[in-house]
Amino acid sequence: MKEQSQNKETPTYSGVLAVKVDDLTVAYNYKPVLWDIDLEIPEGVLMAIVGPNGAGKSTLIKSILGILKPIAGSVSIYGKPYDKQRKLVAYVPQKGSVDWDFPTTALDVVMMGTYGSLGWIKRPKQKEKKAALEALEKVGMLAFKSRQISQLSGGQQQRIFLARALVQNASIYFMDEPFQGVDATTEIAIINILKELRKAGKTVIVVHHDLQTVPEYFDWVTFLNVKKIATGPVKDIFNDDNLTKTYGINYKVSIQE
Amino acid sequence: MNSAQIEIQLIASLVAIACAIPGTFLVLRKMAMISDAISHSILPGIVIGFFITQDLNSPLLILLAAFTGIITVVLVEYIQKTGLVKEDTAIGLVFPALFSIGVILIAKNANDVHLDVDAVLLGELAFAPFDRLFIGGTDVGPKSLWIIGSILITTIGLLLAFFKELKLSTFDKGLAASLGFSPAIIHYGLMSVASVTTVGAFDAVGAILVVALMIAPAATAYLLTTDLKKMLGLAIGFGVLSAISGYWFAHWLDASIAGSITTMLGFIFLIVFLFAPSKGIIAVMYREKQQRTEVSLLTFLLHLKNHTEERERHVNHLQEHINWQKVRAKTVLDLALKNNMIVFNKNIVSLTEKGDTFTSKAIDYIITNEDAQIEDMKEDFFLFRG
Ligand SMILES: Nc1ncnc2c1ncn2[C@@H]1O[C@H](COP(=O)(O)OP(=O)(O)OP(=O)(O)O)[C@@H](O)[C@H]1O
Ligand SMILES: [Mg+2]
Repeated sequence: MKEQSQNKETPTYSGVLAVKVDDLTVAYNYKPVLWDIDLEIPEGVLMAIVGPNGAGKSTLIKSILGILKPIAGSVSIYGKPYDKQRKLVAYVPQKGSVDWDFPTTALDVVMMGTYGSLGWIKRPKQKEKKAALEALEKVGMLAFKSRQISQLSGGQQQRIFLARALVQNASIYFMDEPFQGVDATTEIAIINILKELRKAGKTVIVVHHDLQTVPEYFDWVTFLNVKKIATGPVKDIFNDDNLTKTYGINYKVSIQE
Repeated sequence: MNSAQIEIQLIASLVAIACAIPGTFLVLRKMAMISDAISHSILPGIVIGFFITQDLNSPLLILLAAFTGIITVVLVEYIQKTGLVKEDTAIGLVFPALFSIGVILIAKNANDVHLDVDAVLLGELAFAPFDRLFIGGTDVGPKSLWIIGSILITTIGLLLAFFKELKLSTFDKGLAASLGFSPAIIHYGLMSVASVTTVGAFDAVGAILVVALMIAPAATAYLLTTDLKKMLGLAIGFGVLSAISGYWFAHWLDASIAGSITTMLGFIFLIVFLFAPSKGIIAVMYREKQQRTEVSLLTFLLHLKNHTEERERHVNHLQEHINWQKVRAKTVLDLALKNNMIVFNKNIVSLTEKGDTFTSKAIDYIITNEDAQIEDMKEDFFLFRG
């Protein structure tokens, strides 16, 4: 693999583990789709999870977040089970996982990000609203705050979900294909926000399909296809060998021009 | 109006409100069918509860019957989870089975049970005022009023406390789960409320009207708003409106009250379905027609902008060139004239300054699809709405 010129602002890692996954096996209807995954994600990385469709990327994130129950293995967030660390974690689901015709506005959806810190019963107040408006501003969607969400374009919907994750003010962000169906401008806007998060010491984990941009956007990468193929710094492990192992076909990284 | 009439309308209205609240969430969760299932499968619960308590209005009976409702939901989900059949099939398997158990129990014990299937399904609101509650010998009103009143107060209390949780888990189960609001707890909570409401209301209004009151007002409200709180308010309003107008309709026709209320629910839904300002079919058809005209207008303006030759801008030529029918061409010309976008000069059409700017802006929008532009243009132009 050729020399890479990505990531000018080389991040510094604290050496603390943000996420640790041990021997994780997850099944749908008793058919395992993730086998015996061990994964350590250091604090402060901007990490891509790559793998073909159906590799189990979304499943991995959902299991880490306790949305799916694994049949074996365990997950810890900063050394403790997820249940105890919910407030440290924010999640942007893969598009299409919500009911877009639901009677709710963009601002309302972003406010939902504050529900976790509110806990049961307590209702969002002025402070939560202000945080939501700020997040909308950050993703350039303030003008659309009162729009019903189905009346937004795909890229705009994606930004709303990013804003929702931002108001969670978490330490670890999981994003399932945030670049799906967005134009180049939005993609750059999103990646800049993600890099800003990393700069602020946060850990960002992104399911990503565009292999071309991995070296440019990310500093850490995990290859996944039912099993974990490899994980580590992009500059050390993002190579033909791992890509071929993950995607099955003979993959050539002929992209660093 | 005599006091019985007022009481009947009051009971019907309270039932309508108590149904509209869980109904709104059932509709949004696309679970309308499950309320139908619950309303039928509580029958065995009611019969068994009646054996034990000998009182159709006993709270124990209500709880027992509501429990059958929950069992229905659990069974449906269990069957669905096997992955062998879809949800609607699972519902279709579970509730007839439970309902038929109820029917058999009634038939077998016909002598001891003063209960018939018709009464359960259709209820009889007209009799509700005759079954009264006495506290220490004083008449405090019809029993059904107290039952449905307590259920309604509980429902409102739960709604106020858990509105945020209900909204979140209905909209985005995944986020709810990851934030620690167990979707399962909220789901079964909602199902319990729906079951208890169904049981509490069936005696007065019958199981079928309960289903109608849960689904129809919420479905009607859904067509009118994009705000969940307004949807709840509208659903409640439509429910009460149907209850009261249905009562008077029945009074006038001397027909079943439950039947008339259901008719009103259907009627109001139909009206809204036709005439709702943005989702109604007439509005949709009108908008489509409007958009077609506006696309034509834009095509026409573009043609004018692109051709400086007079030959290309002669009225007759335009018609054959752009190849529109007369009517269509006239509508477009009128629209352009009305908006001061074109002027006629000896049958030669040219763009005004306003028309020229508008066309450039529209082209810009179509090419760049910039959000800022669309926001301004939406005001002038249907085309860019929605
Ligand atoms: N709810 C479900 N029930 C049964 N099987 C499922 C379910 N969700 C996913 N699967 C299966 O699990 C496997 C992994 O799915 P997952 O969604 O995690 O893949 P992914 O890597 O995120 O794919 P994509 O790139 O298409 O998003 C696939 O084979 C999929 O068919
Ligand atoms: Mg996925």
